[in-house]
Amino acid sequence: MTRQEILDELKKVIAPYTTNKEMLAGIDDHTDLIKDLKINSANLVDVIIDAEAKYDIEIDYDSADKMVNVGTCIDVISEKLNQKV
Amino acid sequence: MSAGNDIVSLNAINAARTKQYKFYSKILSESENPLYKEFSSAGIPFENFVWLLWSIKESAYKYLQRNNPDVIFTPVKFVVKQLQLPANYIITNFDSQQIEENGFNTILAIAGIVTYGQYTFHSRSLLYNNLIHSVVNNSENFQDNYWGIKLIADNDSEHQSKEVRSFLLERLQRLFKTNDFSISKSQSGLPILLKGTDETTLPVSLTHHEHFVAYSFHTTINI
Repeated sequence: MTRQEILDELKKVIAPYTTNKEMLAGIDDHTDLIKDLKINSANLVDVIIDAEAKYDIEIDYDSADKMVNVGTCIDVISEKLNQKV
Repeated sequence: MSAGNDIVSLNAINAARTKQYKFYSKILSESENPLYKEFSSAGIPFENFVWLLWSIKESAYKYLQRNNPDVIFTPVKFVVKQLQLPANYIITNFDSQQIEENGFNTILAIAGIVTYGQYTFHSRSLLYNNLIHSVVNNSENFQDNYWGIKLIADNDSEHQSKEVRSFLLERLQRLFKTNDFSISKSQSGLPILLKGTDETTLPVSLTHHEHFVAYSFHTTINI
């Protein structure tokens, strides 16, 4: 998957947890999940679990730590997808 | 000195999902599972226990972050070592508009100890049917920890943010008899209390979830 393809899917993963739909439509690598998309921290585990299910990957604690903005989310997902191949 | 508090609206959590191993194993570590025994006996659902631990861990993270801005919130790395559910703890609905206190002498709370690496913190949590609120401190004496919980009308993020700030500022204004306070944010996103244009050393912590907002702060002034 290209970064763009991961980004398109990631938007769907994040959508249920943000009310900032306008910001979601225009997210880029620098968009912060909490500060910009206003995702409540209580939903961060949901985002990780939904991403695991969506891409059929496992995201360990250390990788989950890195998932603070859209760019690092794509990095982690991309890395886990590559490990599958 | 620092401050850390966290609120969870139990109406907003997904109970079925919380009970799944793949979910709660990202929050609880193995050593914490036995702590549930006492809560189970008291009829407290497992999902509420999971979110209780979450709120303690997130409060401890906020407390730690003020002096260690590089710390990342990994729930399983914050380990709750002890939790003391008061005997005959009665769980009710939070049905007031707001409560404000200092310490926990007038209200029964769940006392806990949580660690992160070499750091140890003490926690006090209130468990209602519809919310959990935790406050963390570096000592067992919470008398200088001021806190408040408020029910708000609108749950959009702008409203939550405005409400929690004015709730905290009103309390500070009453205590210090000045209306010169305002809240700013540090580079790492932590709330900073300003007096006029000057940064104060009084640590404040803000939290919101759905229709609840809460704050905590630490001060040794004599009221």
